Amino acid sequence: MESDRTKNVLIVDDERALCQGTKRLLEDEGYCVSTAENGSEGISLGTCVEYDIALIDLKMPDINGLKVLTEILKAHPNTVCIVATGYASYETAIEATKIGAFSYIPKPFTSEELLRLLNQAEYKREILIEKAKWTKEREERLLEVAFEKTRLNTIINSISDGLLVINKNSEAVLFNPSLLKFLELDNIKIEERIIDRLHPELSNLINKVFSASKKEKKSYSAQIELKADNQLYVEATCSPVVNHDGEIAGIVVVLKDITNLKKIELLKSQFVSMVSHELKAPLAAVNGYLQLLSDKSFLITEEQKQSFILKSQKRIDGLLKMINDLLDLSRIELKKIRREIENLDLTELIKSAIELFQLNLKAKNISVTFNAKSNMPKLKGDREEIGRLFTNLIGNAIKYNCENGFIKITMEYLSHFIVVAIQDGGIGMKPEEKKKLFHEFFRAKNELTKDISGTGLGLSIVKHIVDSYSGKIEVESEYKVGTIIKIFLPAFEKN
Amino acid sequence: MALIAIIDDDPDILDTSSLVLNSKGFKIITANNPDDGYKIVKENAPDLIILDVMLNEPDDGFFLAQKFRKEKIDTPIIMYTSVSKAIGMEFGINELVPVNEFVEKPISPAELIKKVETLLKKKGENK
Repeated sequence: MESDRTKNVLIVDDERALCQGTKRLLEDEGYCVSTAENGSEGISLGTCVEYDIALIDLKMPDINGLKVLTEILKAHPNTVCIVATGYASYETAIEATKIGAFSYIPKPFTSEELLRLLNQAEYKREILIEKAKWTKEREERLLEVAFEKTRLNTIINSISDGLLVINKNSEAVLFNPSLLKFLELDNIKIEERIIDRLHPELSNLINKVFSASKKEKKSYSAQIELKADNQLYVEATCSPVVNHDGEIAGIVVVLKDITNLKKIELLKSQFVSMVSHELKAPLAAVNGYLQLLSDKSFLITEEQKQSFILKSQKRIDGLLKMINDLLDLSRIELKKIRREIENLDLTELIKSAIELFQLNLKAKNISVTFNAKSNMPKLKGDREEIGRLFTNLIGNAIKYNCENGFIKITMEYLSHFIVVAIQDGGIGMKPEEKKKLFHEFFRAKNELTKDISGTGLGLSIVKHIVDSYSGKIEVESEYKVGTIIKIFLPAFEKN
Repeated sequence: MALIAIIDDDPDILDTSSLVLNSKGFKIITANNPDDGYKIVKENAPDLIILDVMLNEPDDGFFLAQKFRKEKIDTPIIMYTSVSKAIGMEFGINELVPVNEFVEKPISPAELIKKVETLLKKKGENK
């Protein structure tokens, strides 16, 4: 503890005998004592080292003791100073206490008098040190609070959500830059009545929280289109701030940018409506035939009956294919997470895909050539997915080909990509058809395609697969001449 | 007997609709895309047009109907719709949708016949 420590005492006195005598006395009492025999030495010692206690004679030949006292206190305010003075200089002694001396002792003094005073001085010293410690701690805490405040401000200013705090008079109390950006405001003045400058839907939401707060304190949220045409959509949440009396003190408004979510939502609902249309069309057709078959009032020949049944079956088959393709599309999405990656030999994979179509090729008398550069690197991929990619493409090349047509497949390795080109001498595409080639359910509709069935999902599946392997697709096509589809798949060079 | 033009890109719907209306003695002409649809209406001046909403493009049916009206062809139009109600798009008859009646797919022959006969009757009275 502080009180157990040996106390350092400085004695400044020009009377050498007294100086030494006092030193011995105090050392016997367990103090650690330094002495200075004149004022300047006293100043240099007393300012250099922080003594617990200094005993200063007021009357010295070189420098006045008051000056010594002043200097020591200036350097170490917590050094407890006692001045020693002759009977003649009481007034100076009083002046010394005004400057900051703890006490004074008249000369000559007895050892008891001195020791008693030193005891008091020691106590005083402890109080001073304790006080200094607390002062320092308080200052540090204030600093910490100030730091905490700036840190909080930094956080509030950095978050991407817009934040606005208003008091119960709807005046702005706190806001962040994101809020200004969302609301397209240059600035908000603190304590300005902000509610009138907000989007009407947002003001309504805030008013709702205020008016509901008499009954219950709860947050309200709304999705607000801040900029038309889906340019900026936010989810606004207004929460009441309740003070200790349970009264509403203000409202915290948080604006979260949900523009992208809204865009995805729109795409999703468009997709759903496309899917439902595509699924409903074959059902409507089959339903039409069934109505004709079941209603006796329509006169139908046996031949017509058979054709209706065949056509219905064809539509049902198409519907099944479409559902399977849709399932495949969603499976590819899921598969990104659980693929079975292996080193695939594309030459072998493409050969077996061609093999799969032997019957179709023969039926249309289409010739196929396949030229692969030797020494091709293996592709790291999922066998099922990459297989599906090539069967879809080769299937299309056959489906949209002419009788006695040709298919030419080449494969090479070009700057980190395996490039597979599938060329057909088929019906080709018009430029406007090419643009929509990868859209879900898009199928070119012209006099050449009217007898070809399909789901309109085959190339969507191809695109999904290629995209998920960070590859790309290039399409060249000329109507009534043919199409070349080039697939680029990233692969590491063979080594 | 009245002549009816049916414009729909689904050949099976053309088949069944034709058969249903044929059985009631109507004469039928058909087209499976907007261009041919426009042509058969211009050339044959049918008494009634049946038009699918979605041909090559989702709104082709609307555009074709607007085109007829712009050219002062005021032949009654029945519009075939399929998923409008399911996705919350209730079509109303207005300037942008200048048609006289809707028939939801799948088509009920009885409903189709009833709507066709009603429109033709109205047309006859107006003359």
